[in-house]
Amino acid sequence: MTDQALILNHVFLQKNKSTLLADINLRIGSNEFVGIIGPNGAGKTTLLNVIAGFEKFTGELYLFGKAMTGRRSQKARLTIGYVPQLTPIDPGFPILAGQAVMTGAVGQAGLFRKPGKDVELEAMHLMEMMRIAHLVDRPVGHLSGGERQKVLLARAILQHPDVLLLDEPTANLDIAVQKEVLNLIDEIYEKRSLTILLVTHDFNMLPVHLRRVVLLKEGRIFFDGDATVGLSGSMLSRLFQYRLETFERGGRRFVSYD
Amino acid sequence: MIESVLETLSYPPIQRALAACLLCGASCALLSVFVVLMRMPLIGVSMSHAAFAGAVLGMLMGVNPFLSGFILCLLAAAVLGPLSDRADMAPENILGIMFSFLMGVAFLGIGILTRSKAQALSLMWGSLLTLSNADLVVLAVVTVLLAVFIVLFFKEIRAVLFNRRLAASSGVPESLIYYTLLFFTGAVISSNLATVGGLLIFALLVQPGAVAMQLTYNLKSFFWISAAAGVVACLAGLGASYIFDIPSGAAVVLAATLLFALAFVFSPKRRVARRKRNIP
Repeated sequence: MTDQALILNHVFLQKNKSTLLADINLRIGSNEFVGIIGPNGAGKTTLLNVIAGFEKFTGELYLFGKAMTGRRSQKARLTIGYVPQLTPIDPGFPILAGQAVMTGAVGQAGLFRKPGKDVELEAMHLMEMMRIAHLVDRPVGHLSGGERQKVLLARAILQHPDVLLLDEPTANLDIAVQKEVLNLIDEIYEKRSLTILLVTHDFNMLPVHLRRVVLLKEGRIFFDGDATVGLSGSMLSRLFQYRLETFERGGRRFVSYD
Repeated sequence: MIESVLETLSYPPIQRALAACLLCGASCALLSVFVVLMRMPLIGVSMSHAAFAGAVLGMLMGVNPFLSGFILCLLAAAVLGPLSDRADMAPENILGIMFSFLMGVAFLGIGILTRSKAQALSLMWGSLLTLSNADLVVLAVVTVLLAVFIVLFFKEIRAVLFNRRLAASSGVPESLIYYTLLFFTGAVISSNLATVGGLLIFALLVQPGAVAMQLTYNLKSFFWISAAAGVVACLAGLGASYIFDIPSGAAVVLAATLLFALAFVFSPKRRVARRKRNIP
């Protein structure tokens, strides 16, 4: 396996005559943890959607050396796990938390075959890791926002991904639950040796293992490199066109604004 | 009384009507699970009007109304599917335009039709007692195929119903499942034009699923309850139509609504939700 998990060469995406991504060139190594940061409309989610295969684009995209274009790329995309932002769900929707986690194994099992007992055990193990095993028979619509995000994380991990795409997984969660979800993401990264791309807005609530950031502005890469440089006050002020300052407390960096 | 009922049941048109009721209730109700859970009632109503317009056009051109209704339904699905997937336009507006356009086409067709206007009008609310054996066979084949599709692809269907995008991201053939569903929507609606008609079928595409929504969190039970609600509504409607001498299509729709009202009032899911709200 190549040590480059993802390579994007000259990736462009246009919709309704507006450019959503312009000349994106990225190399993301295997087992890297990268933050995708930028103002609203910068193209962060669009970039994840391109990698996940939800959007048509021009340019080249390679996943572990395999070109991600055409029908053959569908199988390779099974190795990409995806966790979206928290979305509302009807409280009466007929799916239990355990069944929702198991939907992550449906693609791997293939048509006309049921996921085996070993997969069910693994799903239960993942729910224990996420501390939601006691909710296995609870309807998903009855879960809190944090519990639902943990279900989606467990679901994505059950897929055995090599690359995990996290699209603002802590958005709309309260601070304690945000921290809990981020700790779980750190734990997953440590135990599973995954490549993780995390879209986030919250500079003060970043996973410990995040070392590299890609800053996007108006669909273009504004900065790509070390997180300590990318998340400096001057860089963020230029990115957001707003005066931002960073300071350190207890070995952690915080961003403040007027 | 019993003798009179048994005598009525011995007539082939009545037997065909009963069989059609069972099949219509089951096929529409199975489909209504998707209509309700994927929140696409507007797609259902647009496609039922496409089938109606297609059948009227078929009569105008001397083509089998089921076939022309089915073809226009599929064409509508081919337009509606990609449109409903596009985030850059409000699907409700497109569906509203589509719905009114298809109604316009249907009524234009009825206006131009120089013969058998009654037959065209019967496509609006169905005509259970004039069904042919061929109508029944088509309906039976469509119902069985839909049931087989649900059984064979149940785990994929569950994944798609939960979240289409997540299903696609984990390798489930989400587009195939979605477009097959649209195909079945076209097939079920057009094969039921002769039973409950293009206008009233919409009730059976929503209400049985809405009944199940009040009663269970289990998807398998959801399909069973929905199918049972559809069949009971159709049979009760037909029975009421016979006893009170009222139009059968309208009676079926009223029976379906009554079932939903009962499910809503006695819903264990709502009781649990109420209890939760009352906990301080």
